[in-house]
Amino acid sequence: MALTLMKGSEAIAEAAIRAGARFFFGYPITPQTEIPEYMSARMPEVGGCFLQAESEVAAINMVYGAAGTGARVITSSSSPGVSLKQEGISYCAGAQLPCVILNVMRGGPGLGNIQASQADYFQGVKGGGNGDYHLLTYAPSSVQEAIDIMMFAFEKAEKYRMPVLFLADGIIAQMMEPVEMPEMVEYKVDPEKKPWACTGWKPGDDPAKRGVINSIYIDTKRGVINSIYIDTESLSIHNEHLQAIYKEAKANEQIWENYKTEDAEFIITAFGTVARIAKTAIDELREQGVKVGLFRPISVWPFPYDAMRETICRDQVKGVLDVEVNEGQMLEDVKLGLEGAKPVRFFGHLGSQFPTTDEIKSEILAMKEGK
Amino acid sequence: MKKVYVLIGNYGSGKSELALNFAFKAAERGERTELLDLDMVNTYFRVTERGNMTRMKEIRLVSPNFANSGIETLSLPAEVASAFAMDWETVIFDVGGDSTGSTALGRYHQDFVELEPGSLEVLNVVNIRRPLSGTVEKIIHLQEEMEIHSRLKLTGMINNTNLAEMTGPDELRDGYEMIKEVSQRTGVPVKFTSGKAALLEQFLAEGHDPKYIGQPLPIDIYMKRDWNSWINSLGEKRPQQLEYL
Repeated sequence: MALTLMKGSEAIAEAAIRAGARFFFGYPITPQTEIPEYMSARMPEVGGCFLQAESEVAAINMVYGAAGTGARVITSSSSPGVSLKQEGISYCAGAQLPCVILNVMRGGPGLGNIQASQADYFQGVKGGGNGDYHLLTYAPSSVQEAIDIMMFAFEKAEKYRMPVLFLADGIIAQMMEPVEMPEMVEYKVDPEKKPWACTGWKPGDDPAKRGVINSIYIDTKRGVINSIYIDTESLSIHNEHLQAIYKEAKANEQIWENYKTEDAEFIITAFGTVARIAKTAIDELREQGVKVGLFRPISVWPFPYDAMRETICRDQVKGVLDVEVNEGQMLEDVKLGLEGAKPVRFFGHLGSQFPTTDEIKSEILAMKEGK
Repeated sequence: MKKVYVLIGNYGSGKSELALNFAFKAAERGERTELLDLDMVNTYFRVTERGNMTRMKEIRLVSPNFANSGIETLSLPAEVASAFAMDWETVIFDVGGDSTGSTALGRYHQDFVELEPGSLEVLNVVNIRRPLSGTVEKIIHLQEEMEIHSRLKLTGMINNTNLAEMTGPDELRDGYEMIKEVSQRTGVPVKFTSGKAALLEQFLAEGHDPKYIGQPLPIDIYMKRDWNSWINSLGEKRPQQLEYL
């Protein structure tokens, strides 16, 4: 296994290219500027296109356009920049355009700070833009996992014709870790297999071969991509179709990790890098004889409710500690999934300060003592 | 004679770590030492973070204006002039990554030119496990770019090949082989080989050509990050759900 030492930003960018991305549109913002920086040098080497847009709003609309050609396209930003992209993201979801969006989360609201944070969970999984839509949303907890997820992100996006969102806290992009980089995937746009791919149409072409865009249920000719359905009936049909897709994604795309949960009396729930701090705390607590485990959603939409219930709703589990770097956002999904079956305690910081293993340990010890 | 070390290199090659090691070793020898943080590229990882450590060892630290205050202007402070004007025994410049980072040195071109001959060491810190210095060609390309941007000629290379906490015996050995070839092709000598003491000893015992090892430099790790102690997903089985890939 050949390992290289890579910064998260570089690794994510390289993985996107190896997964077939040939278009990157973005605008610099800390703590993810290394992603566009890397792309600016790397894209020309693989015959791709790097373009620094005039704003995040422009970048996401360029994504919309490039995705409409069947190409694999990606954009990245950090929290305030992702806020700016929300309109475009909603349009991509509405027009069913597959693409990948990276949010390297920093402190908020507003400009917040440039340090790592997890405060965009709601924005990511509850819909930051308008309308009834979802994004396949993944929260990697290491640089290697970010690479692994990137390698299937485009396939998932294309399978469901949904944008994929990476909800990565700033640490993932800034940390440097030894990683194994997979081989380059050969991706060629095949309009036959990508029914949303605009191939151009000129007078004299057989209208019957123009194909269909948004979905088979609406006879929109290939070459027209939109998210507007002006009469109530067609919008209703469109939205029902979207919901059917989301239902399928919910059924098939939940991924998670259980860490030392088998005999655990206390379960920590956490996502992203916080989960790794939790794992370290768990190992140290187990040395003291405290049986603790971790349930970590990797897909935060769809949220693995059933798997979480299966892990936590067991007789020996006395309580749950949810740890995040926000005011308790995933906490709502944890509580929703558990339906009051187990007591849930929360620990978090609000100023981009990451919890320490000692803090997590003392929370668990307090729970154990019934405090 | 004043000794001036300028550490340049690929982003993430370990310049700051080596800069601290150079500074601490000089201070331990009782030398009047100044360490200059000239990193204009990355606001997250800089030796200035270890300011308390340098003060304890009576090393003068010069940092970019407002460094680590969250509102970095990335402007060079006037105190950089002290590196040339004052009577130090050892001066260490920790420069930002790649050719972009090296650009900051151009401002002091005349000062460097006026240094006593033989007092300046411009060292390229090489970690071949970093993707942009992973081949002989890439190292040479980066080296040429950095020389142009810094307006300085390299006087040597440092083999600092590592995989952070996962560094094993292969790293220095593979680094040695590649850097040897770079040295043969460019004529730039290998001045140091650095690593944690145990690994370095193991490497030295293998009996490689000392010409391409230079001075062995056992280092301590000061720039260690919190996440170095967190469990790395690579050390464990990847989540089963991801294995269908």
